[in-house]
Amino acid sequence: MSIEVLLDRRQQAVRRRGRLRRHNALVGWSFILPNFVGFAILTLLPVLALFFLAFTGWNAFGNAPWVGSDNFTRMISDRLFHEALYNTVYYTAFHIPLTFAASLGLALLLNRKLRGVAFFRTAAFFPYITSIVAIAVVWNMLFSPEFGPINQFLQALGVSDPPGWTSSTDWSMPAVIIVATWREMGYYMLLFLAGLQTIPADLYEAARVDGAGAWQRFWNVTLPGLRPTTFFVTVMLMIGSFKIFDLILVMTNGGPGTSTVVLSQFIYRKAFVENQFGYASAASIVLFLICITVTVVQFLVNKRREA
Amino acid sequence: MKRSTLTAIGIAAAASLALAGCGGDSPPAEPDEPDTTMEAPEPVTLTMSGWSLNVTPEFRALADGFHAENPDVTVEIVQYADGNDYDTQIIPDLAAGTAPDILVLKSLNKLWTFQSGGQLLDVSDVAAELSDDVSGVDRYEIDGVTWAIPYRQDSWVLYYNKDLFDAAGVDYPDGTWTWDEYAAAAEVLTAGVSAQGAKGTYQHSWQSIVQGPALAQTPGADLLSGDYGYLKPYYERALAMQNAGAQETYGTVTTSSLTYAAQFGTQKTAMLPMGSWYIATILQQQASGEADDFEWGIAPIPQFDDSTTGSDNVPVTWGDPTGAGINPAIDEAKLDAAKRFLAWLAGEGGATVLAGLGVTPALSNDVVTDTFFALAGLPTDELSKWAFTTHDTRPENPVSAETATVQGILNDAHSAIMSGSVAVDDAIAEAETRVASEAGIG
Repeated sequence: MSIEVLLDRRQQAVRRRGRLRRHNALVGWSFILPNFVGFAILTLLPVLALFFLAFTGWNAFGNAPWVGSDNFTRMISDRLFHEALYNTVYYTAFHIPLTFAASLGLALLLNRKLRGVAFFRTAAFFPYITSIVAIAVVWNMLFSPEFGPINQFLQALGVSDPPGWTSSTDWSMPAVIIVATWREMGYYMLLFLAGLQTIPADLYEAARVDGAGAWQRFWNVTLPGLRPTTFFVTVMLMIGSFKIFDLILVMTNGGPGTSTVVLSQFIYRKAFVENQFGYASAASIVLFLICITVTVVQFLVNKRREA
Repeated sequence: MKRSTLTAIGIAAAASLALAGCGGDSPPAEPDEPDTTMEAPEPVTLTMSGWSLNVTPEFRALADGFHAENPDVTVEIVQYADGNDYDTQIIPDLAAGTAPDILVLKSLNKLWTFQSGGQLLDVSDVAAELSDDVSGVDRYEIDGVTWAIPYRQDSWVLYYNKDLFDAAGVDYPDGTWTWDEYAAAAEVLTAGVSAQGAKGTYQHSWQSIVQGPALAQTPGADLLSGDYGYLKPYYERALAMQNAGAQETYGTVTTSSLTYAAQFGTQKTAMLPMGSWYIATILQQQASGEADDFEWGIAPIPQFDDSTTGSDNVPVTWGDPTGAGINPAIDEAKLDAAKRFLAWLAGEGGATVLAGLGVTPALSNDVVTDTFFALAGLPTDELSKWAFTTHDTRPENPVSAETATVQGILNDAHSAIMSGSVAVDDAIAEAETRVASEAGIG
């Protein structure tokens, strides 16, 4: 066989492989297409429209008058927007570390060979699959300032002036954070459990042989081994916290006063209650920018740590 | 690879655009009917918006009532969600041009939104023909043009449980009460009925219950003035009653999800200030056994001062009418029938149908009142009848671009004050600052 023939065969093979790859890609895309069409119509197009609407005074009817950057300058002096931004950061600052610690703690506890571990894992996951409206109604009753079990318990412990929880401007946000943490820790526990199971047991063994205590093993074996999971969990928690909406809407509806109005609720109020869709779109863009900035920063930090 | 990626994205984008185009401004599928309105009128079908038809029987009853008198016109009800979701659902339909011919304005708050958005037809000619006894027509005027016709006019009254009053040995309300007398009675009643696990009164968590009378009754009060000092005495009274235990606290009402119908219906309260829409509910709940069986009555809502109390005066109350307007997208051929329907709705025809269901029509005359009080289960005493028919109902939501924003801010102030978190003066000052900053008033 001459070299030409060999080369020709190789070219043919390459071409065939190329055709195969193209074919495979097309098949793959055709599977994605139904989902993508839905995403494009229901999410992508509205999101793109958002960037136009944010610069208009659209009120749901007729054409949208162009107002330039008016919506954004208005936000700078809007007290409710400031309050919503503050409340969102407040919620995020407490919700992320609390949920992180609670879910990691649960995962470590339930990662042992324990009698009935499946039951406890299910129990911890249960709040996550419970209807959010039911959660809000029941927790609200538990938090009832006069007749709620929580305050009765506190009084039995000797607290003479227990907090007003969801009926007090100072305590409504802590109450919401408690419920949100309780609700979501099961889900993140599951992710941590999966992560824990990927850490090879011999690493722990080696650490033990080297005389590492429980704390040192956690700090030097478990945490580094969990880094991919930790990264994913913090990104998800961060985005989830910034766009918290449903729980607050059904639990406090932003009240009392404006103590639990968060950014997504501010957007909802402006758009669907006051019909200021242009202004609401501008606020959504701000929320979007916050989320994407924080996520990009997290990615950069994670990359540097891995390097 | 690269080219096929682009092709795939292109195809997907084109497909999505084509699909998005389908949902857009497709013209109505009905063919244009030839104009033959001279002799036997062509049958016309009108569509009308409504909500929760299974618990709101008035829509079907009105549609049937009109059809019985006008066999050439059939009215079909298009069902939307209840509560605030009604407006949220109907706005996209209006924007897409697929909303019904007759639009019911569930809250007056939205009149400005719909009108300024060009979603209502001028119905001044219908309004001009209406009897003077139809109240609230002027509430639908913007720039001298009437945009909708009121058919229902609820207003706030004071419900009271005669059995609990008897048990506490307190005299029934006699129509001379100011809010201070009401608050005093609530405390006396609480002492008298607490053994039954009841309280003197029940004020629901809504802002209407405190801000409604403050705005309607205080001389010179104006929602759009940016000055909310008029709310202060009303809030101080409400807080005092709450602290004295004469009513459930705001915290308990919100955290335990209490409902006013259950509180009054199961005799947990001797009094209930509430809108006249509750009449139909309690009639139905007492008939079905959902509410206890007890004697109740209606008295005028308590007043700001003595100048409007007593049977020589007309008590001042508050409430917004419910009206219907015409969608500008309506077929020309149906317009005449739609206007006839609106006139019937606000006139004696519609009013008698509504009164027969325990709903308060906008038209108030002897025929309507007789139909209303002929209902089984209604109180028959003179004061109840007088309270139902005699009142000066002032607007709760003046029609303007800023009303929705201002009410939202005042609602925040309401929950801040009633939860006891913020002092009345501070909350009012904060509301005034916010109204200036967010609505540009004051």
